[in-house]
Amino acid sequence: MSDRMVRIVQILTDSFLPLLKAGIQFTVPLTILSFFFGVAIAFVVAIVKILEIKPFAVIARFYVWIIRGTPLLVQLFIIFYGLPSAGITLGALTSAVIGFSLSVGAYGSEIIRGAIRSISEGQWEAAHALGMSKVQTLRHVILPQAIRVAIPPLSNSFISLVKDTSLAAAITVTEMFQVAQQITARTYEPLWLYTEAAVIYLIFCSGLAVLQSRMELRFGRHLAK
Amino acid sequence: MIRLEGIYKRFGSLEVLKGINLSVEKGEVVCIIGPSGSGKSTLLRSLNHLEKITGGRIFINNELICDRKDDKSIFKPSQYRISKACPKIGMVFQRFNLFPHMTVLENIMLAPKVVKKTPQNSAREYAIHLLDKVGLNDKWDVYPPKLSGGQQQRVAIARALAMRPEIMLFDEPTSALDPELVAEVLEVMSSLALEGMTMLVVTHEMGFAKEVADRVVFMDNGEVIEENTPESLFANPVKVRTKAFLSKII
Repeated sequence: MSDRMVRIVQILTDSFLPLLKAGIQFTVPLTILSFFFGVAIAFVVAIVKILEIKPFAVIARFYVWIIRGTPLLVQLFIIFYGLPSAGITLGALTSAVIGFSLSVGAYGSEIIRGAIRSISEGQWEAAHALGMSKVQTLRHVILPQAIRVAIPPLSNSFISLVKDTSLAAAITVTEMFQVAQQITARTYEPLWLYTEAAVIYLIFCSGLAVLQSRMELRFGRHLAK
Repeated sequence: MIRLEGIYKRFGSLEVLKGINLSVEKGEVVCIIGPSGSGKSTLLRSLNHLEKITGGRIFINNELICDRKDDKSIFKPSQYRISKACPKIGMVFQRFNLFPHMTVLENIMLAPKVVKKTPQNSAREYAIHLLDKVGLNDKWDVYPPKLSGGQQQRVAIARALAMRPEIMLFDEPTSALDPELVAEVLEVMSSLALEGMTMLVVTHEMGFAKEVADRVVFMDNGEVIEENTPESLFANPVKVRTKAFLSKII
């Protein structure tokens, strides 16, 4: 019994750094890059839909529908394993970033759209009565207020994304989950290793949750409760 | 300055405005009174395109800016024409609609800076002047949610005035205020009227109408029932519906 525990502690300590390294080398950059591109896409899509910019509004609706209606894993497989037969061959990491960005873009656009719509109609009317165009209103009046509303759900997306990056393992990215799988294959201690990986994910996500609270405070400073 | 001919508005199957004819001369203060649902606010809001009329013609400064029939535009003047011909129309809302994420001063400066590209300094100077005019110059760096309703509405008036409008529309400006805060807003509106501003006010404040209005228009059920000077209308209402309404509130 005690021998086994010693072995397990050894495995856990030996694997900690490799897991953390994979996390820092892949999981974190993957998350940050994909979220950055994803939010950019989300903004554009949300504004295109709100302002009804034809013909882009139709494309936007189609995009959101497809992405939200298909599993992320399937999307990643299509990009990495499927596209080569159509002549487009992308690296694993590139495919992962594209896949995650498109996903964040679709869900994020609905979050941003919802946040914009939550701002009372009266704000639009006041700006209109003052002679401001829709774009000017969005820029100076609506978006600054909408951002505050969008922070909790967008933070949620970000935290979810950290965990979703584990799917990149399926398209050969050696991020943290993939490394956990590899070490398990060597040591045959799935419970301990996957739990260890889970704990590291938990630490990342908890840190992000603290950041989220800070951001909510900072953006909610002046606004009525 | 404003002439409305045969204004119709329907929302789906509900006809809210049934052929309104109304004109407002330069410098006139016209108060529109009537029961809720009579279409007063809708009429006001159609002047600055917050509502699109189903039919009728709108003239501003004798320039036809809107001509519609059956919910379609018969004549649509170009944006250029509208902006050349239309004197600025300012509006004050029942629920103030101040921008909560900006200070009072920033609220007032925003539109001139963004729409008219007024430089920061002149915008600031004029904003401070307007704040002074409405009696709130010590609140310039406060955020709207911290102000009382009466203060917020006065800021809203200053904000509308910052665009130097020639016509001011007021949509039940005091209806959302606690009674003791109403007077300070009416005071600002009275002094504005004395300065010669053309004002169209939808209100329930009969005292204000009596004191300040040149004309009072009574609307009910989408129609203008009666209009007259405040003295005549309040003292000797002609139509039955006018009498019924006035008896309930005075």
